[in-house]
Amino acid sequence: MDARLRRVNKEIADCKNDKSSKIQLDLVDESPFHLKGSFPGPEGTPYEGGRFEVDIRIPDSYPFQPLKMKFITKVYHPNVSSASGAICLDILKDQWSPVLTLKSTLISLQSLLCSPEPDDPQDAEVAKHYMTSRSSFEETARYWTHIYAGGPDPKAKDGGSGGGSRDEVAMAGLEKAHVDQFEALGFERGKVIDVLRRLNYRGANVTKITEDRVVEELLKP
Amino acid sequence: MSDDYSDDEYYYDEDEDMMDADDGDSAPSDEEMDMEVFDNDFKLPGKARKKSYEVDSEPLSQAQVERLMQTDIEHISGIFGVDENVASLLLRHMSWNKERLIEKYMDHATAVSVEAGITPKEEKPAKAAASSRAGSSSTGPQRSTRSSKSSNKLKSPSPAPKEDEPYTCPICFDDTQTRTMALACGHAFCSSCWNAYVTGKIREEGEHWIRCMAEGCGLVCPDPFVREALGEDKATWNRFRELLVRHFVGCNKNLKFCPYPNCTYTVACPAAASKSALLSIVPTVTCGASPDHKFCFGCSIETDHRPVICAIAAMWLQKCHDDSETANWIKSNTKECTKCQSTIEKNGGCNHMTCKKCKHEFCWVCMGPWSEHGTAWYSCNRYDEKASQEARDAQSKSRASLERYLHYYNRWANHEQSAKLSMDLYKKTEQKMEEMQISSDLTWIEVQFMKKAVDEVFKCRMTLKWTYAMAYYLDRGNPKELFEDNQRDLEKAVEDLSELLEQPIEPEVVPSLRQKVTDKTVYVQKRNEIMLEDTANGFLEGRWQWNTSVPGLE
Repeated sequence: MDARLRRVNKEIADCKNDKSSKIQLDLVDESPFHLKGSFPGPEGTPYEGGRFEVDIRIPDSYPFQPLKMKFITKVYHPNVSSASGAICLDILKDQWSPVLTLKSTLISLQSLLCSPEPDDPQDAEVAKHYMTSRSSFEETARYWTHIYAGGPDPKAKDGGSGGGSRDEVAMAGLEKAHVDQFEALGFERGKVIDVLRRLNYRGANVTKITEDRVVEELLKP
Repeated sequence: MSDDYSDDEYYYDEDEDMMDADDGDSAPSDEEMDMEVFDNDFKLPGKARKKSYEVDSEPLSQAQVERLMQTDIEHISGIFGVDENVASLLLRHMSWNKERLIEKYMDHATAVSVEAGITPKEEKPAKAAASSRAGSSSTGPQRSTRSSKSSNKLKSPSPAPKEDEPYTCPICFDDTQTRTMALACGHAFCSSCWNAYVTGKIREEGEHWIRCMAEGCGLVCPDPFVREALGEDKATWNRFRELLVRHFVGCNKNLKFCPYPNCTYTVACPAAASKSALLSIVPTVTCGASPDHKFCFGCSIETDHRPVICAIAAMWLQKCHDDSETANWIKSNTKECTKCQSTIEKNGGCNHMTCKKCKHEFCWVCMGPWSEHGTAWYSCNRYDEKASQEARDAQSKSRASLERYLHYYNRWANHEQSAKLSMDLYKKTEQKMEEMQISSDLTWIEVQFMKKAVDEVFKCRMTLKWTYAMAYYLDRGNPKELFEDNQRDLEKAVEDLSELLEQPIEPEVVPSLRQKVTDKTVYVQKRNEIMLEDTANGFLEGRWQWNTSVPGLE
């Protein structure tokens, strides 16, 4: 039998038998080389309570070439692209070793959620947010976990229910007051959110960025 | 070489001229001659003595480079008292810098061995340093092999002991495999996995630094291990050896790999190894595989940019890249503001111009200040006024620099174009030569003079092309005038020969045409040599003065 197929079958079987890690592997289509993995967000992080799905493609020369993985679930994390789900992790590139498995790689992804590496970012905007204001970053990450990964509603504690409607301002990790302020000048709300996010208009940065600078950006076509 | 640069001296004083002429006359009737060596024919007398525009270089085959590597390896192996494969890994780790390796190895032999992937890292009991990102739980089974083998020798690896008990490879989970291999770290995997891994690394990634397959293990496969893992796959093994040679060549400043596709030759040119040497020589070299594999050892701008040095050729190309088209347009469509020299395009309207930048008002026709025009502006009768004269002076200065650049650029581009066209001429010539063989009773060898002449024209046009780049940057003075005299003589000779080549060929005139073409070819070649030689000497003597700062000089 084909060595790659034998290995992948064994890995899938191992994962099924192992209930303790809470890691799940499912076939996407008929092929055993295109899988969907999922794992719970690590405890004690903003991702806690969510379930994160990962698209896995097994290359022809597996296990001698690294697995191709990207997040299906949107994640707010410096090493994961907020748009495409692409992941920046050394073992998926040059530090890959043939002894690594589907399960161990998913566990590595799980621990990547615990310990972001903002110095080697995949998503520069998210990384900037992480560096400027940790608490605001965590709030946004928690909000994304709620919206996309089925995590608990961060606002539920306060008694108010989100009602399922997505709050664009919270998604971008911005303050509602800031967005309202510029919207009141007559700019479109979506544009304001976009510009403020790009400028990293958060935490201590707010005092550093002048209003004129923001307006200037807003006026650009 | 005489100190006098007049061409008379050059041309008639040397004995070689006579020899050259003789040679040229008799060349076509010479007996059996290979096409390959044919164009050397004209140069034969010069071969005895090195020309100042030539650099010493030596083509090396892959085997010869491997021998150089072997010498270094044996040297290190002898000094450190280690196996040759270990010495090879050490050298590769240190980019073949023997001095640095010796220094470092003497101080921290163990640390260097670990870094070079020869000995495993000291196993720390708690593995505290292991990153939290690497999920270690699933790799547990493999880890146990590592700790069980504690006595690792600094020795070429041997396959792990063959066990009789059933063995399951942790990579392919195949339990029918009986042959396993492991490096000194003891991480054993079945040989077919090793084969797939090593083949992939070499073939797909072009990697010669192949680490152990175990996660986090820094050991590197020595050559015999790679060979064993590859088994009968000779092609991949050869590719591996080529990668080693490429790495060695890449680390050595005296060596360059031939840039032609699929060529495995290396050229050694110690004379051009340092950046400062490139300021006085133009190291055009040829690899041993084919005389067509000509390239510049110092840069990758163009295969042969003699006589100008790399730095100036690069500067010139950059300038042309940035400027030429724009400059042409500016020249034909704009004028400069007489006050601030901003370039202004007049795209309609009246002649009363106001500079957008400095608000200076002037007349587009006479370039004089508008204030002096009063009400008589329409006829613009102030042509000879002093103010407008001055304004035009200022403008003509900046315009002149543009004109100057375009003068050189147009000639540079023209020679390039003509050289390309002479390749077409080549085809036509070939046809002509065939016709001549049929139409007259001339033999093949006797009609080769046309081909040689076209070759020479092409070569000289390339030289001429670059002399214009050089002249653009040369400062005014006697050296430049002599340079331009040489340039003119060469150019004239080349144009004459080109014209001869374009003439229709009739069988009756062939003998006289052959005489003319051959004579002219010899003369052109001589002029080209004088041009190259004098320029090269000038670089060596530091005779050339530049009108701009050349990167690296001063």
